[in-house]
Amino acid sequence: MGDSRAEKLLRNLEGVIYWAAAAPVLARLPAALGYRVACWRGDWLYRRQAGKRAELARNLRQVLGSELGRTAARQVTRDWFRFASCEVLDVMRLRHRARPLRRLVEIQGREHLEAALAAGKGAILCCAHFGSYNSAFSVLHTSGFPVTTIGRWQYKYTASLSSAERRFWDLVLARRVRRHRQRPNIEPWPGRLEVAALAASALRANEVVTISIDAPPLDSDEARTVNVPFLNGKAGLVPGVVTLAQVTGAPVLMSFLYRSSDYRHQVLEISAPVPVAGETVTAFERCADGVSAAIRRSPAHWAYWASLADLACLGLVPSGQDRPAAAIPAVRPALDSLAQAAR
Amino acid sequence: METVINEYISREFVRDPALLPLADDTSLLEAGILDSLSLLRMVVFLEERFGIAVGDADLLPDNFASVDAICGYVRARQAGKQEAAHG
Repeated sequence: MGDSRAEKLLRNLEGVIYWAAAAPVLARLPAALGYRVACWRGDWLYRRQAGKRAELARNLRQVLGSELGRTAARQVTRDWFRFASCEVLDVMRLRHRARPLRRLVEIQGREHLEAALAAGKGAILCCAHFGSYNSAFSVLHTSGFPVTTIGRWQYKYTASLSSAERRFWDLVLARRVRRHRQRPNIEPWPGRLEVAALAASALRANEVVTISIDAPPLDSDEARTVNVPFLNGKAGLVPGVVTLAQVTGAPVLMSFLYRSSDYRHQVLEISAPVPVAGETVTAFERCADGVSAAIRRSPAHWAYWASLADLACLGLVPSGQDRPAAAIPAVRPALDSLAQAAR
Repeated sequence: METVINEYISREFVRDPALLPLADDTSLLEAGILDSLSLLRMVVFLEERFGIAVGDADLLPDNFASVDAICGYVRARQAGKQEAAHG
């Protein structure tokens, strides 16, 4: 299962070339052609990365059990690699106020978000590490909604990354995404007390705050996690989204970006508000249920299938793995290349 | 003010009975009493109870390190507000 050092280097070199040179060119080609080539790259990685492919399949089986047949599991695994390649193109299509990407994304449920903001208390988009979530936020922002994200950039918190690697991810990924935000990312980390208050400040200004609730909790958040039904088991998640909504009065809407079968068109679905009144855990279970439903509907979109350590940290598979250093991938390919080389 | 804030923190955030009664100089951060979400609730409470506005730039650990620190911060904000009103 273990790749040789040469193979790792080759894989990482391929990742660097794809992010820095190939994807920016592909993103300027007609979408049908660009995304087709991205899928070819996904298929190539699917064939080349036998270890990762096996881990994905094993994780899918462990978490979803018999829910997913053998053929379906193979399809999901292949799509996972294809989506990862396509997501890089999504990022590259964020130029010119994301117009090239917006042409390919249909927003459904826009009226729910508009109605929420009309009430004047902002809106919380409850999301997951699902598909091109970062690009989805950019599409929303450039469509007229002032979006701020609560979330960490993985590359900033992986201790083993070199400064050159950090600069690389900042250049090819973060810089492209963060220009389409109302405020700088609000990045939770131990000792950062101001996170929730900064989010509340954005909500008071009647803005949109996004929170991905499926991240494996940090050690410092252990005391605040609650075990809620998630996929076929229970996951330990932080219910901060509900507390934030209860304190600020902002409505919580579920939001997921689904890639269509042609791989280039996507639909950003925004739900009606989820009830958050009453007991925190019960309200949070509704949010977690929304994420579970999205993953079940299209499993290949979920980033965490690739990491047994993250799934163990969530409590979805038996423990025994090392905890991830900072458990949120910025986007899947970011884990595929440089960051993995450093491990 | 110390009593009001101490009672609020003791009632809402202190989970470990061993920490009660809470001393005004107990470090709320080191004792794990205050986290990001409880700080938000604290801010809302201070704004409603004492009529101050807590700005983003004021969300520093130093301002919320203990009951004493919070009172000092609230008094400073109130004084600033009065100065602005008079002049």
